[in-house]
Amino acid sequence: MSETRMRHAEVAIIGAGPAGMAAASRLAEAGERPVVFDLAQSPGGQIYRQLAAPQVGEAVMGADYLRGQALLTRFAHSRIDYRPGSRVWWAQREGQGTTLGVLASGKGELWQVRQLVVAGGAMERGWPFPGWQLPGVMQAGAGQILLKQGALVPEAPPVLVGTGPLLYLLAWQYLRAGCPPRLVLDAAPRSRYSALLRQPLGTWHARHYLLKGLRMLVALRRAGVTVKQGFDALEAEGEGHLEAVSYRLAGRWQRVETPLLLTHFGVVPEPQLGRGLGLGFAWHAGQQAFVPERDVDSLAAGPGLWLAGDGAGIGGAINAEREGHLAGLSILEAQGERVGEERASLRCARARDLDARKLLDALFRVPEGWLAAQPEKTLVCRCESVSLGEINAAMGQGAAGPGQLKAFTRCGMGPCQGRLCGESVSRLLASHQGASMNTVGYYRVRPPLHSITLGELAASPAPPSS
Amino acid sequence: MFKQLDSAASTGEVTIWLEGHSHRVPNTFSVAAALLWLEGAAGYRRHVDGSNRAPLCMMGVCHECLITVDGEPNRQGCLVPVAEGMRIERQWRAL
Repeated sequence: MSETRMRHAEVAIIGAGPAGMAAASRLAEAGERPVVFDLAQSPGGQIYRQLAAPQVGEAVMGADYLRGQALLTRFAHSRIDYRPGSRVWWAQREGQGTTLGVLASGKGELWQVRQLVVAGGAMERGWPFPGWQLPGVMQAGAGQILLKQGALVPEAPPVLVGTGPLLYLLAWQYLRAGCPPRLVLDAAPRSRYSALLRQPLGTWHARHYLLKGLRMLVALRRAGVTVKQGFDALEAEGEGHLEAVSYRLAGRWQRVETPLLLTHFGVVPEPQLGRGLGLGFAWHAGQQAFVPERDVDSLAAGPGLWLAGDGAGIGGAINAEREGHLAGLSILEAQGERVGEERASLRCARARDLDARKLLDALFRVPEGWLAAQPEKTLVCRCESVSLGEINAAMGQGAAGPGQLKAFTRCGMGPCQGRLCGESVSRLLASHQGASMNTVGYYRVRPPLHSITLGELAASPAPPSS
Repeated sequence: MFKQLDSAASTGEVTIWLEGHSHRVPNTFSVAAALLWLEGAAGYRRHVDGSNRAPLCMMGVCHECLITVDGEPNRQGCLVPVAEGMRIERQWRAL
């Protein structure tokens, strides 16, 4: 490795989605010049991807996408050291700050940061079913990224399957683009929707979210799109690529031919950076996900470390923007500024919004027993092609934790570094042992936190030995 | 597999070379998006176990989009924007 040359920043932010942009903008307005590292080539995160030069307008995307333009403008006009295309592959807490290893345009740098805001966002949950590795099966988020990035829509009507707001949003956007899906399959049983009527208060608090969803559902039905609720098993079929989808509804298997299946089983915090930093993670029963631990008000996860946005727990884009703003205020307060009133109104709006989301979490719960009920041929780890049968066998032979399962089967050792199978492996162990997710825990995440080449590693400054 | 909407905002285009054949593609595309647009998912990549694979997440998580760009293998196609003169080879032999 090349000689260590440390760069310094008072404030750095990882991620340029709504949380990162809001934190950076607020800090810049107070005279700071934060450094912002982001994996993408332009700001916006996944939610506002390509919004700086939109490829599709409001007529297709809806108003929520265009809403991000105000934040993008604010970010673009602030004095910010914005570094797109940056991969933070190494991170370590040191005393009062954090040291980061960053790769950009093939060049490695080491940064020492006094105040760090981690706003790395969320990812789609890996959710195994037979055939999910076939070309032609993609996550719904991928479909939406193609739409935002290049105005790309499916040539033939796709099947959308899963549960969660994104499922209906994408179906509705495809409809508005003139390419309605052939079928929308929702894992949430119809009874869960009718149960809303028995929770009038919660329903009232979440009415904006629910009405948005209802309007989309009505538009889809009116356009003749078949929407079926309550499927409980799924299989993607095809030789070399997807040809058909089978699903079980009310005990009966049905089959539909399609070249494209878009799946969505919720979003979860992206784990690599937080785990790489050694943060505590706890299983959140409502969000059905491991969530990093932080102070709920200040958003601090340690001295000089703040977590904001969906990477710290799923709250959506508007909540992420508020949390970024709040993290910025926490840093300014630590520097002696008075932020009381500005913070109070943000906290109040945040609490109300997060309260409303509990109802959405309940409405779009993924079925807990899904994984154990899959056929043994189902791939759990796609990278290393480890099937459910192999994981079951290794657990039977005594693999006691995620780390041991990895050693027994190679699950989680491929290029995605366990992001897609980590939760599944923990779920299987928890159900096999009758233990809680917190007892089972998760893979131990070690650097590099991103896949990097040996050449890039060799060109990087050596991290300080620990 | 994917088509571009007529209403797409007009952007610049670049020429990329896919296995020696030139293609004009919008300059907002990632390498993975360009491949899905030009060729669909079926022929994207062969996995180490011999099965066919194609991008799943398009946001840097799944690593199913690995591809050779300008002679460098195993790049994440969804994170690399297309560029003028870029040479792209699909990874059809299991590595």
